[in-house]
Amino acid sequence: MTAVAEAPARAGDAGGRAAGRRSPTTRRLVTTSFVYALLAALAVVYIFPFLISISTSFKSNADAAANPLSLVPATFTTEAYERLFLNSDFPLWFQNSVIVTLAVTVGRVLFDSLAGYALARLPFRGRGVVFAGLVAVMAVPSVVLLIPKFLVINTLGIYDSYSGLIIPLLADAAGIFIMKNFFESVPASVEEAARIDGAGTFRVFWSVVLPMARPALVTIVILSFQGSWNELSHFIVASQSQELFNLTKGVAQLSSGALSQGTQYPLKLGAAVIMTIPVAVLFFVFQRRIMNASAGAVKG
Amino acid sequence: MSTTTSRPRSTRRVRRPLAAVTASFAALALAACGGGSGFDEGGGGSGDGEEGAGGETGGGTLEVLIGSSGDAETQSVTEALEAWSAESGTEANLSVAADLPQQLSQGFAAGSPPDVFYVGVDHFAGYAANGSLEPYADQIEADFFPALVESFTYEDTFYCAPKDFSTLALVVNNTAWQEAGLTEDDYPTTWEELSTVAEQLTTDGQVGLSFGPEWQRIGTFMAQAGGGLVDENGSANVDTPENVEALTYVQEMLAAGTAAYPSEVGAGWGGEAFGSGAAAMTIEGNWVIGALTNDFPDVDYTVVPLPEGPAGQGTLQFTNCWGVAADSQNKEAAIELVRFLVSDEQQMAFAEGFGVMPSVESVRDRWTEQFPEQAAFIEGAEYAQGVPPVEGISDVIGDFNAQLEGLASGDPQQILTSVQGSLEAVAP
Amino acid sequence: MTTARPAGTAAPHRRRRPGRGIQSGQAAAGWLFITPMLVLLGLFLVLPIAMAAWVSVSDWTGRGNPFGGAASYVGGQNYAELLTGGGLPQRDFATSLRNNAYYVLLVVPIQTALSLTLAILVNRRIMRGRGFFRTAFYFPSVTSSVAITVVFLFLFTASGAVNRVLSYLSVGGPNWINDPRGVLHIVLGAVGVDQPPAVLQSAPFLGLSWWQWLAGPSVAMCVFIIMGIFTTSGTFMLLFLAALQNLSGEVEEAAMVDGTTAWQRLRYVTIPMLRPTIFTVVTLGLIGTWQVFDQIYTGTRGSPGKTTLTPAYLSYETSFNSQQWGRGAAIAFILFAIIVVMTIVQRVVLAERDVVPARKRFYRTGQKGGEPS
Repeated sequence: MTAVAEAPARAGDAGGRAAGRRSPTTRRLVTTSFVYALLAALAVVYIFPFLISISTSFKSNADAAANPLSLVPATFTTEAYERLFLNSDFPLWFQNSVIVTLAVTVGRVLFDSLAGYALARLPFRGRGVVFAGLVAVMAVPSVVLLIPKFLVINTLGIYDSYSGLIIPLLADAAGIFIMKNFFESVPASVEEAARIDGAGTFRVFWSVVLPMARPALVTIVILSFQGSWNELSHFIVASQSQELFNLTKGVAQLSSGALSQGTQYPLKLGAAVIMTIPVAVLFFVFQRRIMNASAGAVKG
Repeated sequence: MSTTTSRPRSTRRVRRPLAAVTASFAALALAACGGGSGFDEGGGGSGDGEEGAGGETGGGTLEVLIGSSGDAETQSVTEALEAWSAESGTEANLSVAADLPQQLSQGFAAGSPPDVFYVGVDHFAGYAANGSLEPYADQIEADFFPALVESFTYEDTFYCAPKDFSTLALVVNNTAWQEAGLTEDDYPTTWEELSTVAEQLTTDGQVGLSFGPEWQRIGTFMAQAGGGLVDENGSANVDTPENVEALTYVQEMLAAGTAAYPSEVGAGWGGEAFGSGAAAMTIEGNWVIGALTNDFPDVDYTVVPLPEGPAGQGTLQFTNCWGVAADSQNKEAAIELVRFLVSDEQQMAFAEGFGVMPSVESVRDRWTEQFPEQAAFIEGAEYAQGVPPVEGISDVIGDFNAQLEGLASGDPQQILTSVQGSLEAVAP
Repeated sequence: MTTARPAGTAAPHRRRRPGRGIQSGQAAAGWLFITPMLVLLGLFLVLPIAMAAWVSVSDWTGRGNPFGGAASYVGGQNYAELLTGGGLPQRDFATSLRNNAYYVLLVVPIQTALSLTLAILVNRRIMRGRGFFRTAFYFPSVTSSVAITVVFLFLFTASGAVNRVLSYLSVGGPNWINDPRGVLHIVLGAVGVDQPPAVLQSAPFLGLSWWQWLAGPSVAMCVFIIMGIFTTSGTFMLLFLAALQNLSGEVEEAAMVDGTTAWQRLRYVTIPMLRPTIFTVVTLGLIGTWQVFDQIYTGTRGSPGKTTLTPAYLSYETSFNSQQWGRGAAIAFILFAIIVVMTIVQRVVLAERDVVPARKRFYRTGQKGGEPS
């Protein structure tokens, strides 16, 4: 169910045995090669856009327009990247994305785990109501909140500031569920032992529970990082200064607003490639966990 | 007409990345106590003084927001601001908006708009109507072209000083022209001639004429046919036989393949289609000169007036004004800055910098002398139509443009009828 | 934020179980622990809705404080303008609904089918390179929609990669992202119906003629449809994979012994057992596909010919560009209502099917698998 519960892979040998018993080898071979061919073709379709972006970002404008399919630049140039890093606000956007993403991730880890622990372990009056409220709140589609969020952020006086970019993103009902489910899945005995030793609730939480919850926390880190790194609409409504542009907002405007600048695909694709790298790194490092985390989170 | 790709490095850098998190929590606590609304109550509220990135503006620094046509424009405005700062001792920060209307509207709504900014005619009436703009223009002494004053007058109040203006003309690729066996005598002066040369110029891989699928280009044909968006009283007057004739003419050219929208030839706008050689002629404004010099320096071209239609000559004019925010903390300095920016000297500097035409008549002759090859543009000022200063006009034009994208396969009468309906709602 | 405090202090004495200092301490700690999140959720999820509700019945045009006298109450006027106004706002809203409806109609079934197919293919036990394929299919889902949109805009230009591939197959590709023609209109045009028959010219519903409603997604919208499928199929594939792995192997084995073909096993055993997951995927798909915003903001801003306008983008555009905040908020609420109704309808429809006698004895077992909480 949750991110952390890894479904044990079904014994492969059972399937193999069954298949062997079932049918002549040739037929199986044909089927298998067909499946492989199909998968390979699909994989090409899924991977090709990324490969072509990387290669195009090293092309010249003319080359990109003339040979949109070729994976090898006719003339290899880093012009697009030079322009991005030396002659635009791109580094600033990147920096802002990093700041916001890190702050949101840290904040969510803290608040999600606190709230999840409270819901799972601390009996308090009104817990049921709070829980029901969370479920209801989770059902509100985020896009519907675009205008309202601007109103609130502005009313609170945190519009066009880092606070305005970060704090609203800390509100994360799904993360609480992940943490709650995790805490419910671990035995309470350790904490109870600690408590009998006289440790306060917060002490128990901080030095006993949290270290235990590492797998779930990693899940929260991954989801928060990915979520806030890729977030766009919130940043659009929460700020206006150029100094607070982040990657998604900057690149989106680069993509749609640059009418008089021509098409400039190498530049745009270069920007897209760079902004994909941190998430890609995270993805490949935590691959296995991400796969489970996402399945768990969406099901949440 | 905006750019994001390159602007001068931001002069202000955010200094407090690490403090951000701490600040967040402080702000959260503050917020929870119900303090510090960002909504400004009228003119003299808290403004953007203590809020986040705008934090340094309290001491009288002016925030200037523009939508730039490119490096050249950004550079020129930067230099002008520097010159003014040196003279007046007041700092002025320039920001280039990627999406000017959105950034302005958001700034107005948040009560923290920039102090001085570009305002296009299509959004002017809306901002004037809801009180976002300071009506300061009567404090500026300059002999603006009357048509431009008209454009920035809302309910009999002249709000903001016209910055400069541009008109549309026909840009012709000399090389393609000669290759098609045409001479200087063949520059089209009527619709028939335009169709003929467009056909002659259309070859494999090159379309005769290209222009954006928008009223801001196709409207020239409506003007030449004697039509337009509104009548003399400012009432919607789109559904007219003149306009039908104009759209039908454009449709015929599109259908014949002698004219095409830029997107059909793989370009983002007319200037790019023209510069890249995908089109032999385009209908564009003064800004095309700078763009061609920068992006396609090898293209050899001539600018000629647009041909006459059934009702004579016609073109469109575009202009921006220097808006000053009603919520500005520093209106006096802002108006002072505008006074400097619309002075004869600055207007000529801008004209040299990025090819616009001065908004004041006093330097008209100087300009014509200096840019004889652009004579066609200033000629157009005589008979150009502007964007009607009507609140909500930008949505209507936006809708018109959306329908014009489908003009090739659409029904001109039907398009005009529907635009008439929308325009009537805002300009009865 | 908070400090550790000794157990048992500050216990409210009204607790009914005396002597359980630890527990009442925990109750206080519970509130303390959950308060930060409650404040956050309240401020940024609940309060906004209340504020927007007010703005949606006001005439605020973006200046001054809408909660302090700068806006006045106009009743349902903004809603009326959108639903029955007959003007440009209504037409734009109807257009955006049409566009998004076609998006939903195409994306949801295709992404569900595709992700299920991918999951079944990747889940084959004798398969080598499962990890690789899983990664390849899932990777688009983790990247930002902004980046993907930029890439797709490049792939689908008039002389771009996609059209280049099509030309190898001797197919002349359309000018994708700039082509406002509706797909159904193109099909009808191909059989000679260029102009709407008189019967389709009336505009009985939200001010858009039947002919317009029946335009189908524009060619430009098709790019976003393909992109939507491309980016979400990976996520849903993982859901299906998780469910497949929970399926009882014996059940399938038993079916094999019965001498069924692979197709029959899929059709009569696997898919019925995956039903709860399919339900989840369709629900999530429905919710997600009504919220198309990032792609439109990055890519087309509603052009060409407003055929990629979506309610979410229109709501933003109306408020932030046209300064009709009341109308923008009203669009957001109508969109909210649509999503809620869609979800409920889907729940009811699928639930009714559930009542149909379970012809498979494995059916009930399967339900344990992936029921969403």
